[in-house]
Amino acid sequence: MKFLFAILRTTTYTMLLALLLSGCKSNTTSSKPKKVAVIVSTLNNPWFVVLAQTAAAQAQALGYETKIFDSQNNTATETDNFENAISAGYNAILFNPTDADGSVANALEAKAAGVPVFCMDREVNSVNAATSQILSDNYSGCVSIGKYFVEKMNRQGKYAEILGLVGDNNTWNRSKGFHSVVDFYPGLTMVAQQSADFDRNKAMEVMESILQAHPDINAVFCGNDAMAAGAYQALAAAGKADNIKVFGFDGAEDVIESIQSKKIVATGMQFPKVMAKTAAIYADEYFKGKRDFPKKMPVAVELVTQENVSEYTGYGKKDQ
Amino acid sequence: MRKKITRYLITIAVLLLVAYNSVYFKKLDEVKAAQAALTFNAASYAQKFWETKLMPGLGKAVEVDSLIPMLAATPVKAFDNYSHALGIGNIRYFLVHGTGKVTSIDADDISLSITGLNNQPIKIATEYIFGNAVRDATGLININDFSNTMDFNNVSAEINKIIRAKVLPLLKNVKVGNSIAFTGAVELNKEHLSLAQVEIIPVAINILPQK
Repeated sequence: MKFLFAILRTTTYTMLLALLLSGCKSNTTSSKPKKVAVIVSTLNNPWFVVLAQTAAAQAQALGYETKIFDSQNNTATETDNFENAISAGYNAILFNPTDADGSVANALEAKAAGVPVFCMDREVNSVNAATSQILSDNYSGCVSIGKYFVEKMNRQGKYAEILGLVGDNNTWNRSKGFHSVVDFYPGLTMVAQQSADFDRNKAMEVMESILQAHPDINAVFCGNDAMAAGAYQALAAAGKADNIKVFGFDGAEDVIESIQSKKIVATGMQFPKVMAKTAAIYADEYFKGKRDFPKKMPVAVELVTQENVSEYTGYGKKDQ
Repeated sequence: MRKKITRYLITIAVLLLVAYNSVYFKKLDEVKAAQAALTFNAASYAQKFWETKLMPGLGKAVEVDSLIPMLAATPVKAFDNYSHALGIGNIRYFLVHGTGKVTSIDADDISLSITGLNNQPIKIATEYIFGNAVRDATGLININDFSNTMDFNNVSAEINKIIRAKVLPLLKNVKVGNSIAFTGAVELNKEHLSLAQVEIIPVAINILPQK
């Protein structure tokens, strides 16, 4: 009988201890703020720095711990960042992918670990990998640039196109939006189309080589502003900046200033701060129980020209 | 000896059977047709949208004579009640209807004077038929029904092709002084609203008989 009581007592104490410990654990967990990782394709471009820092700042303002991970435009580094973020217990990932196809596996890995992924600016080619994708309407933005390009060129002339990363959907959505207009005009001839990976220095080199082969071009359309700035630098060095019209896309600070000083003709203003804030707000809503997010949320792009540049500032509108 | 021959025959028969089942011959046309059936056909999607959604829904277009004064007086109300857009931002689209008198025919557009707007000019685009205005003005197509953004954008390109093929020819013989009834899509910036140069991409045109 004594033995039976001893067993019962031990069991009761063990259960009480277990309850106490689990209670302590759950208290500890609930008192700790949730953590939000910001994984960004590169911090080597000021536009993405603004995107990442705004996402982190918004998540912090909503009460979450944050950390920015730089994938250095490399899907292998991005995979390491995802593994580190998941094992470090981050509860959501605000994600700017490096490659529309190559990044799908990373987003799926996070999903499998129960970590929601919210894409910013760049998409992954999967409808199931990310909880929501907040993306610039690149195609429509470049349709507007294409129309303005046709007007400024008087529907004739030779031009070059400098593309971004060939594995990124934004590269092609921008190019196709632009060509959906410009290709209607047989007087406009594209003499060169080369990639410079969205990189300023590479764009400078690409522009130099295009100029050697085609010194008579009248314009260049660049898939982002970093490349537009690089192309302009090469044109200025060759003494051709006044004769060749440069068009960009992004709304980066230095290009907005270049449009003000009439060096660059136009750009498409994306709103990285709007996309980053929306992604952080979506993560917050997810933590609070919301699940029915739009799979894709496009953000309108606005044409910035020398006529309306006074209404804009780098990365957005003046009053934002 | 007979056993050996039988074994060889069985082996050859098995080999022939395996070889026969390992190789398939199909007509290249059939393979290509099967692949094409799996890929999204933006042209047929646009045609179906035009016939089953856009044309039957033209009655929902807002009268331009009432929209423009409302945009000037209470823009937030006008945008909330009558505009559509797929996502976040200032660019929004309206499906509008109206009648006006042709005042000039230019290379890129036709200018109309709208009686109900104190003869304020409105432009009907005839050159720059591009972008997503018509696709998005109705609010009837959802981006989340498309797995690929490019497919979604191609729908716009195909809708614009239909406009060039079916609608613009109706304006070919129009003359200054003609009265026109029109329905079309217009893009406006919510934050930087400019009503001085409203340009409509037409989806339906009717040249009214001269009085």
